Amino acid sequence: MDREFFVSKHDAKAENAFALDDNIMVRGGLTTAGSKMLHNFISPLQATVVDRLLAAGMELAGKTKLDEFAVPGISEGTCDILSGAVGAVAEGVCKVALCNDVSGKVRRQAPQNGLYYIHPTYGSVSRFGLIPAVSSMDQIGIVCKNIDDGFDTLGMIAGHDENDITTFPEKSYAYAPKEGKFRIGIPSNVLEEADEKSKELIYDFAGKHDAEETELKYFEVFSQVMYILSSAEIGNNTSRYDGVKFGYRADKFTGLNNLYTKTRTEGFGPDMKLLSVVGAYVLSKDNYEACYLKSMKIRRLIREHANELFSRFDAIILPIKLKDPDPYKNLALYAFATLCGLPSVSVPLGRNEGIQLVAQAKNENSLFGICKGGR
Amino acid sequence: MDYEIVMGLEVHVELATKSKLFCSCSAEFGAEANENVCPACAGMPGMLPLLNKKAVELGIRAGLVTNCEITRTITFDKKNYFYPDLPTGYQITQLYAPICRNGHVEIETEAGKKRIRIKQIHIEEDAGKLVHDYLPGSSLVDFNRASVPLVEIVSQPDFRSAEEVVAYLEKLRSLLTFADVSDCRMQEGSMRCDVNISVRKAGSDKLGVRTEIKNLNSLKAIVRAIEYEAERHITALETGCEELVQETRRWDENKGETYSMRDKEDATDYRYFPNPEILPVHISDEWISEIRNSLPELAHEKYERLTQSLGLSDYDSRLITSSRNISDIFDRTMEYVNNPKEVANWIIGDLASITKEENKAYDEIVIDCEKFGKIIKMVESKVINRTIGKKVLQLVFRDDIDPESYVRDNKLGMISDSGYLENIVKEVLSENEKSVSEFKAGNQKVIGFFMGQIMRKTQGKADPASVNSILMRELNNLR
Repeated sequence: MDREFFVSKHDAKAENAFALDDNIMVRGGLTTAGSKMLHNFISPLQATVVDRLLAAGMELAGKTKLDEFAVPGISEGTCDILSGAVGAVAEGVCKVALCNDVSGKVRRQAPQNGLYYIHPTYGSVSRFGLIPAVSSMDQIGIVCKNIDDGFDTLGMIAGHDENDITTFPEKSYAYAPKEGKFRIGIPSNVLEEADEKSKELIYDFAGKHDAEETELKYFEVFSQVMYILSSAEIGNNTSRYDGVKFGYRADKFTGLNNLYTKTRTEGFGPDMKLLSVVGAYVLSKDNYEACYLKSMKIRRLIREHANELFSRFDAIILPIKLKDPDPYKNLALYAFATLCGLPSVSVPLGRNEGIQLVAQAKNENSLFGICKGGR
Repeated sequence: MDYEIVMGLEVHVELATKSKLFCSCSAEFGAEANENVCPACAGMPGMLPLLNKKAVELGIRAGLVTNCEITRTITFDKKNYFYPDLPTGYQITQLYAPICRNGHVEIETEAGKKRIRIKQIHIEEDAGKLVHDYLPGSSLVDFNRASVPLVEIVSQPDFRSAEEVVAYLEKLRSLLTFADVSDCRMQEGSMRCDVNISVRKAGSDKLGVRTEIKNLNSLKAIVRAIEYEAERHITALETGCEELVQETRRWDENKGETYSMRDKEDATDYRYFPNPEILPVHISDEWISEIRNSLPELAHEKYERLTQSLGLSDYDSRLITSSRNISDIFDRTMEYVNNPKEVANWIIGDLASITKEENKAYDEIVIDCEKFGKIIKMVESKVINRTIGKKVLQLVFRDDIDPESYVRDNKLGMISDSGYLENIVKEVLSENEKSVSEFKAGNQKVIGFFMGQIMRKTQGKADPASVNSILMRELNNLR
């Protein structure tokens, strides 16, 4: 395993240590978000999650590598690079690792490395001090080997933060596995596109509960909606990197426009450039309605559909990968939780395989319960 | 051919909040460059916007005093463009659900009263400021103003003359300063105005090609720019020498002309979209009525009070209520001298003329009202005469001296000892026999000359009333 994913901060004891993806700020330390654009950026502040973990007696093990700005990368090879957060926990250098899994990469890679990933409800964990990618979807989640450790950690970081007005008013949450039998929905239209092994795992896993086939509506456009909305927000959130104030600045430039284009051409990687261009396109006057607004409308329909589903089910079970390895198509698998701000847990099963479970907002305890076996 | 000018205004007004719109940095004007800056308003990643409630309150106030409907659920949007004074690369503003809609204000010009309709008022953040060539060949940026809250007041195209535009801006300034929404200082940039202008043949109901004029920093500039631009449109229409295009133009104060700001290539698409970092804000009926009930006395209400309860003249009351600052000085001085007519006289006669001499605007007057009150009282109780009083006021205005000790230390107390004054009068008359004979011949004008001489001999400290009666008595004795 490539050890480049991890930069050790000091000798923390692994059993009490956490790692952070390098888009989460530690005051006075370098925070690059995996981008040349921020190669020299020293954090002026500290993320709320870091304050809370340190206050709870955890130790910072170090920073982990991530795809540039944690964006949904679809360029060749990006998907196969190991997430630093997954690598660090798998290697045992820390108990848990925190990251912002907009793209779903960690949700796929964690189970493939025998780990869980907890993606909490949008608004339960403060994003103060997280370098933003897609503001309406950014959510700090937890990679862990042991699900109890994961929810322990979530209990430490979740709760209202006055520095993030998008957090819910609840001061804290009590995470404990719910008991009983769970109603699990198996979306057959999604399973049609999954590989045989995933299907088998899903039927096996769901079979231990009250499982029932259902349909995940709009699944066929999840990737489009996800990509359009995230490109718009990423393009906007990264327009502050212009070489004027901080971060990377091109060496030689002639005039202001050249400073911008040169800095951004040299500072951003291929996925970021693609997203910036798509983002500008979908928000432009001529395309706003057909692309951005339409995607927002579909997003609302998906939310309404989610509400309907969760009136019937405690959780929806999904594969972590499709038959078709195309990273763009695979975005759809993670879009359901990400677009709707729903909690999900990726569960390792068998050898380098796994499934994911998605529940209604603030219903992490059902997911916890299912992971613990229920009953 | 007669032409009609049609104009609409976009007025930006900085809100009088203590802190910025989305962070706790001071919003005060006049700090050292980049003194009031934190990671949030410098555009650094990781900070999230925290909406300033006071700014929303002031936005509501702006709407209430301009008869607007207040939107019950407001949202914020992002407007994207690159410019070095914009730290994040986007401005947070309100496109889809502005805080106020459909208002109006009454203006008054020589042609009479007129209603100007307001399309909307929205809250947005200001940008920073570029400083060019402070270091040779480069530009520096000052983010003190970045993220300071503004409201943009957008009117309907209801203006037909520069006079109406000026009347409207003065009316807005009066409404907003009296309601404590803003200090509306054009010279400090806390009130800025863009004019949308088009020209059409009189009687036509089709609008002509519209241009927008920016960079207007004073009422004078606004009037000149409107006159210039209207003339340019009319000439273009009459002679066809130039094709009018819809564009943004800047006013060049030195050349006295407008010029095109950017070519079509740069026509900006702002790529607006809803800001996901700021949740919709609900404005309750209770909050609105609370704000309505706590509105300070507005200019027209104060005018009523001055004319009706305090018995001041229409002229005096208009002048006092023409500026929030003057009006405050009046109220504060009244706390020390409960004589409205006298305070008004001092403000309109003496303070106004000193302000003019010092080349200042009414809004810029800074004076200790307790000291001002003391001067008025000293004159009222004949401790000093009025001429000395004005001199002392001048010194208070300029150097903030203490009037009582100054009068005492410089022995400026009024002389009303009639024996002493009688001697002076006699002395002056005997020194000016020629003028005395002129008086005898019926020339009344020399009385003023005698008064002047007597005042000079007493260093201006004589009680004018006593001097006058002694002088007249002596003169009549001589006749």
